Amino acid sequence: MKAKRIFAEHESLIFGTGFIVLLLVLWESIPLWYTLPRGMALFFTTPSRITAAFYQLLLDGTIEKHFYVSAVAFLAGLGLSIIVGLPLGLLMGRSATLEQLLDPYVTAANATPRIVFLPLLILWFGIGIWSKILIVFAGAVFPLLINTYVGVKNVNRVLVNVVRSFGANEWQVMKIVVLPNSVPYIIAGLRLAIGRAILGVVVGEFFGSSHGLGYMIASAATNYKIDVVFVGVAIFMAMSVSLTLAIKQLESRLAVWRPEAAKSF
Amino acid sequence: MAAQAFFTENRRLWLGLCSILFLVVSWEFVLTYIFPVDPFFFTKPSLIGAALKEQVQGGKLWHDLAVSSQAFLWGFTFAVIVGIPVGLVMGWRKRVEYSLDPFLTALYASPLVALAPLFIIVFGVGVLGKAALVFLLAIFPFIFNTFAGVKSTDALLINVIRSFGGTEKDLYLKVILPSTMPYIIAGARIAIGRGLVGIIVGEFYAASEGIGFAISQAGDTYRLPDMFVGIIILSLIAIILTELMRRLELTLAPWRATQEVR
Repeated sequence: MKAKRIFAEHESLIFGTGFIVLLLVLWESIPLWYTLPRGMALFFTTPSRITAAFYQLLLDGTIEKHFYVSAVAFLAGLGLSIIVGLPLGLLMGRSATLEQLLDPYVTAANATPRIVFLPLLILWFGIGIWSKILIVFAGAVFPLLINTYVGVKNVNRVLVNVVRSFGANEWQVMKIVVLPNSVPYIIAGLRLAIGRAILGVVVGEFFGSSHGLGYMIASAATNYKIDVVFVGVAIFMAMSVSLTLAIKQLESRLAVWRPEAAKSF
Repeated sequence: MAAQAFFTENRRLWLGLCSILFLVVSWEFVLTYIFPVDPFFFTKPSLIGAALKEQVQGGKLWHDLAVSSQAFLWGFTFAVIVGIPVGLVMGWRKRVEYSLDPFLTALYASPLVALAPLFIIVFGVGVLGKAALVFLLAIFPFIFNTFAGVKSTDALLINVIRSFGGTEKDLYLKVILPSTMPYIIAGARIAIGRGLVGIIVGEFYAASEGIGFAISQAGDTYRLPDMFVGIIILSLIAIILTELMRRLELTLAPWRATQEVR
C-alpha cells in the first residue's frame, strides 16, 4: 500500500524521468537489435559514446577553451542588450512620441529573425569576437526592450497620479512606481533574451569563427565526428535549460502578482 | 480643421512614416554628400533600390524565394500535422503529459539550431535538410500552445458532450479542437519566426540557392546592395506573416488581444 501511495504522489516525476531514461536506453540499444548500413553508421552515435567523448574533451581542455570563448560572447552581448534595452524600453513606455517614432523599427526588427544580419555583421566587424557579441545583442535586445515597455505601459495610473499629487518629479515616479511594477515583465523579457542570446552564440560561431562551442559543433560535423556534435549540443542544452529554470525560480519568487500572459516562452 | 483631426487621429501612423522617411533620406544624404560611400563596406538606399530592381526583373529574387519557401512549407506543414495531435493528447491524457512534458520542455528551451550542421550532413543540402530543420524548430510552439489550449478548455462544455452521450471523437472534434484554435494560431506566429531561423541558418550553412544563400553569398563577395535587398525582403516576409497571424488571432479570439506580451 505504501508503495502505491508514493507512486501516486510522485507520479509526474516518475513518468517524466522514466520517459527520458527509456528514450536513452532505447537509443543506446539500437545497435544491439539493428545493424545499421555503413552509410548510416557514419551519422550514428550512442549516449555512452557521447559521454565518453565528453569526458575525453573535458580532460584535454577542449571544452574549457571553447566554452570560455562562447561564454564571453554570450555575457558581453547580453550585458550590452540590458544596458541598451532597459533604458530605451523605459523611455518608450513613458514618452508617447518616442514610442511612435521608434515603433516601426522595433516591430519590424522584432518580427525579423535577427540571424539574417549575421553576414552583414561579419563583413563589418570581422570574424572575431565583436560580430558574435553584436549578433547576441541584436537577438537579445528586443525581448528586453519590448517587455520593459509593456511593463511600463501596464503601470497602474492611479499609483502614478498619487505619487505625482504628492509632488514627485518624473525621476521619482520612475523609481517609486514604474520600475518596481515593471520588474516581473523585465524578468520575463530576460528569460526570452537568454534564449535568443544563446541562439546568437551558436549561429554566430558556426560561420567564420575559429573558437567557441558553435565552432566546435560545426567543425566536428564537417569531420563526421558525431559524438562531438552531440557533446556541443548537450552543453548548449544544459546551459539554456539551467538558465531558464533559474530565471523561472526568480520570476516566481519576485512577483506573485505577475500576469499570466507574460509566462509564455 | 479636418486635416488636423486626421493628424491627431492617425498620429501613430504618420509619426512612424515620418520616422522611416527621415531615416532613409538622411541615410542617402549623409552617404552622398557628407561621407562619400565606400561601396566595399557600406551602401545607400538608391543603390539598394537599383539592386532590388535588377533582382526583380532578372527573376533571381523569385527563384530564391521559391526555393526557400518550398523547404519552409514542407517543414512547417509537418510541424502542424505532428505538433497539434501531440499537444492534444498531452493536454488530455495526464500520464502522457507527465511523460512528455519535462523532455519536450527541455528541448523547447534549448537552441536546437545547434543541430543544423548535423541535419545538413545527414539530409543533404537540398530541400530535405532545411525542411527537417524547420520542422524541428517549428513543432514545439504547436505542441505547447495546443497543450495550453486543451488545458484551458471549459470543463462545462466537456461535461455537456459527455452527458449527451458523445464519444471521445466528438469531444476532440466538437469541443477541444475549436476552443484550442486561438492558442494554435498564437503558436503558429511563434513557429513562423523559429521556422525562418531554421531556413536562414540552413541556407547560410550549406546551400546553392535560396534567399539565405543569396544573402550570405552577397556578403562573401562584398555585394552590399544585394545583401540588403535579401535582408529587407526577408524582413518584409517575416513582418507580413507575423502580422497576418496577429490579425487571425484577433478575429478568432478578440478577448486574448489585450493580454499580449511579445
